[in-house]
Amino acid sequence: MSQSPDQSTSGTAREAQAPAPLSFETQILALLPSLRRYSRSLTRSDTESEDLLQDCVEKALVSRGQWRGANFKSWTYRIMTNLHLNARRSIARRPSVGIEEAESLAASTSADDPLEKNRLVQALETLPKDARAVLMLVVVEGYAYQEVADMLEIPVGTVMSRLSRARQALREKMREENVIPLRRPR
Amino acid sequence: MTEAGSVSEAELHAYADGFLDEADRARVQNFLAENPDAAQMVADWQEQNDELRAVFAGHERSKPTDIQLLTGGLARTGIWPSRRLALAAAAVLIFAAGALGGHYGPLLFERPDIQLAEAEILPREARNAFLVYASEVRHPVEVFANEETHLANWLGKRLSIANLKVPNLQPMGFKLVGGRLLPVGGKPGALFMYEDQTGQRLTVLVGRNKENRSTSFRFASASTVETFYWIDGELGYAVTGEISRDMLRRVAEECYRQFPS
Repeated sequence: MSQSPDQSTSGTAREAQAPAPLSFETQILALLPSLRRYSRSLTRSDTESEDLLQDCVEKALVSRGQWRGANFKSWTYRIMTNLHLNARRSIARRPSVGIEEAESLAASTSADDPLEKNRLVQALETLPKDARAVLMLVVVEGYAYQEVADMLEIPVGTVMSRLSRARQALREKMREENVIPLRRPR
Repeated sequence: MTEAGSVSEAELHAYADGFLDEADRARVQNFLAENPDAAQMVADWQEQNDELRAVFAGHERSKPTDIQLLTGGLARTGIWPSRRLALAAAAVLIFAAGALGGHYGPLLFERPDIQLAEAEILPREARNAFLVYASEVRHPVEVFANEETHLANWLGKRLSIANLKVPNLQPMGFKLVGGRLLPVGGKPGALFMYEDQTGQRLTVLVGRNKENRSTSFRFASASTVETFYWIDGELGYAVTGEISRDMLRRVAEECYRQFPS
């Protein structure tokens, strides 16, 4: 990986040599922005998200001996997914919705329809964790179905059923509260 | 729920997610043209997709505290302190062992006389900051070069440096991108970023530590990333980039000349 801002124009003599392997820490650092996005998409608040991210980094560091040199990103995403599915943090640690919740929800995007997005985020909270994780891996993180199956070590049929469950639940949730839906033409 | 024709529900998902090849896409489109309920459902899914991406895209970002995530130096908000401490301690040990044994091993053994605690942290943090921020395309800095005066005042205030000047590296072909606040040795530090015409970037890190002792210029190299650093009074400086050592030395000397002593 080149560290110059634009990889396509940074061709130098250096790239002709065998690239020096990046350290484990460097790879995690480089991954943190997208890991943070995934973490936030699984959780209810920025605080919860940062806790999960930190747990994931710690787990990756202590488990580094188990990394077999295959896709580092998938390996790290899998750690985060498993930590999240196994933890009961969301209920045990965040019993109520605080002020921080209100400002962290979808606040960072210039929404084309803020109310609709807020409802969507609320609808997300009603999804089972495993279905939500699959939905986020496919839609936000851009993984193919088979890649998700490989990452989570589940059959691709299970990926599809979780995806379907998530989508139908979101759809029903959005519809039931949306008496007069104003739909933008696609 | 959608069993009609030759289109499965899995294919409808793949259609909504853009995973189908052209032939299958056309087949699904034909099916949807004749099945308005399914078409509405798929349209809803696609709208969900767009909205989900819009909601979470902005969360893909670096934070100044990212490096502490790796070194275990970040305060926790959670419970279960014992497990967390154990994990964090293990992480610190492993990271320290890796850092000492790997990149900075030679430094340790060749220069037993220097103040390791300070002189070793500085190039490591400088290198990490470079790796994290120089590769950021859209958000490499918090304050861009068009607000240079504000940048200098702001960071000067945080670092308690009266009339801090942002070094001018134009004569060497590097123009200022901007700067950001970030932790250096656990205290407020400044990072200035520059880039040349080809987009090659370098960073200048400034940190303050009361226990610093002045040093001469020193050099640290890890894979392709080179760092030149020195300590002047309480202030530590580090210039980092993937450029030739000779160029980096000239940049470092220029910064040394321009920074207030």
